[in-house]
Amino acid sequence: MTATTEAPPRIPAPSATPPAPQRRRRSRVAPGAIVLSVVLAIGGLLMVVPFVWMILTSLKSLGEVSTFSWLPQSVQWQNYVEAFKAAPFLTYFRNSVIVVVCQTIPLLFIATAAGYALAQLPIRFKGGILTYFILLLGVPFQVLIVPLFIVVRSVPFAGGNDWLGQGGTGWINTWWALIIPFVSAPLYVFLARQFFVSLPPDLADAARMDGLGEIAIFFRIMAPLARPAFVTIALFNVESAWNGFIWPLVATSSEQLRPLQFGLATFAQSSSGQPQWPFLMAISTLATLPMIALFVFGQRYFIAGLASSGIKG
Amino acid sequence: MTSATLAAPRRAERRSARRGSPGIARAKARAGWILLVPALTHSVIFMALPTIIVVGLSLTDARVVGRGDVVWLDNYIELFQDQTFRTALLNTLAYTIVVVPVGMAVALLVALGLNAPIRGRAAYRTLFYIPVVTSAVAVSTVWLWIYNPASGLANEVLAFFGIGRSGWLTDPDIALPALMVIGVWQGLGSKMIIYLAALQGVSQELVEAARLDGANRWQIFWNVTWPALGPVQFFVLVTSIAGSFQVFDLVYVMTQGGPANATNVLTFDIFTNAFSRLQIGYASAETVIMFVFVGVMIYLGRLTQRDRKDY
Repeated sequence: MTATTEAPPRIPAPSATPPAPQRRRRSRVAPGAIVLSVVLAIGGLLMVVPFVWMILTSLKSLGEVSTFSWLPQSVQWQNYVEAFKAAPFLTYFRNSVIVVVCQTIPLLFIATAAGYALAQLPIRFKGGILTYFILLLGVPFQVLIVPLFIVVRSVPFAGGNDWLGQGGTGWINTWWALIIPFVSAPLYVFLARQFFVSLPPDLADAARMDGLGEIAIFFRIMAPLARPAFVTIALFNVESAWNGFIWPLVATSSEQLRPLQFGLATFAQSSSGQPQWPFLMAISTLATLPMIALFVFGQRYFIAGLASSGIKG
Repeated sequence: MTSATLAAPRRAERRSARRGSPGIARAKARAGWILLVPALTHSVIFMALPTIIVVGLSLTDARVVGRGDVVWLDNYIELFQDQTFRTALLNTLAYTIVVVPVGMAVALLVALGLNAPIRGRAAYRTLFYIPVVTSAVAVSTVWLWIYNPASGLANEVLAFFGIGRSGWLTDPDIALPALMVIGVWQGLGSKMIIYLAALQGVSQELVEAARLDGANRWQIFWNVTWPALGPVQFFVLVTSIAGSFQVFDLVYVMTQGGPANATNVLTFDIFTNAFSRLQIGYASAETVIMFVFVGVMIYLGRLTQRDRKDY
């Protein structure tokens, strides 16, 4: 914003040429751009300082954290090993991976199939169904916590329940509770639909001429074309499944099922008197780094997904 | 399907292969339902049904164990006399009223900065977005350490500016603002990305035309950029409000609602009532009230956008 005003008044050419020519004009950097860069750099630094301090703390000795310091006196890599002995974090990590994988794989099929159907196939009440999904987008998950607990506990014939879903604990404290409620979501149906709407129907028509069935057209022709949508949806869900906390807290009690975030929260509280900060920061580092890496490598897809859910929604 | 195809003349059949005959249309519709039904069924069982159930439960005195009786509006009447609930509601509103506008303003400023042709835009964008993809639990743990009164970073920053130490999360006046800071910090990136995408969609020709007419930077922003952001403002507002009403992880990990309920928010109070006090009916009534508040906020957000031509 600051730099553009320094540019000589350009004649609005018919072939609108956005920032490209300015970007090449590096010889004379406007002072406004420098100020802006400095401000942004400070802002960016503020965003990551907590993480930097987290990593630095994770490398300090237990005695060292009683007073403030930036750098560790000597780097204690063994904190990462010791932390795993302080609580069953290996199990928690494994559980998180199971939850992420078992949610995301079925979700990719279920949500994209529905998105494709809503975008390209002539279904009766299509408009109404789409509106229904968009309305569900507005239901905050926190609203669902209590009733979802009741629904999951009342699954018939599960966990000692009778056919009416009474008498037992249903799926509470089972893998099912952590996975099944999340194998589809209106957000992903909507994202997939937004993607498939932009694909021309001619492709499917050509396949139809070749005698391909409608379901096969989805799996063999349309789904491969929708790879960016699949990646976006997968990344979004991997992130939310990995980071999810309140539902595992409500729906499970067994340590054998406890995902990482729940385990981390319990560890942080169990030692609330005198937390072992270096261990806590070591686990926090391991809990955050995979998602940061995932974002850095897949940010194109994250941003595309956010933009299409945001602006067209 | 078969009879229709057989009866149709050959010419029509050829055309149908191109544009879709009743037979093909029916095959498409059937496939459509087959592909749609899993997601539709899932959403009914795990979202639509629970949304209805919560209203029903709110009219009962259901507990986690055993069956409840219908008590009609007793839960709601009791809630409005409940001091803890009132505090939680006010705290949630205060959190929302601070975090949403401040977060939006800062996010828009950052997006405007990143929309300028400067070096390393992608790197800045990544930095601002990182807190969004990290788990609220891990982030809370880190901030718990930052706010540590004895050797945390926050007091060190205060000391650097010559201000006295603070107890942060143990001080009832400071605890909620301390959480607001985290809320703004963590929510900045996603708002910023949405603004940035919208800014890149602002017509460069309009900006250029305004500049040729002698408009200054501020006039261009106010007359060209700001109106073009209208629909996105609404989206950011609505998602931010919904998000800030849902704040839970921060409170659970960092304060458990304390000190003296100073950081008790609606979701945490609902959680406590449902799963510590085991009062499902009461917690459901509280959930319904929270849902109504989010709905009202969203409706108000929509009203402020009504005078804009593009929404």
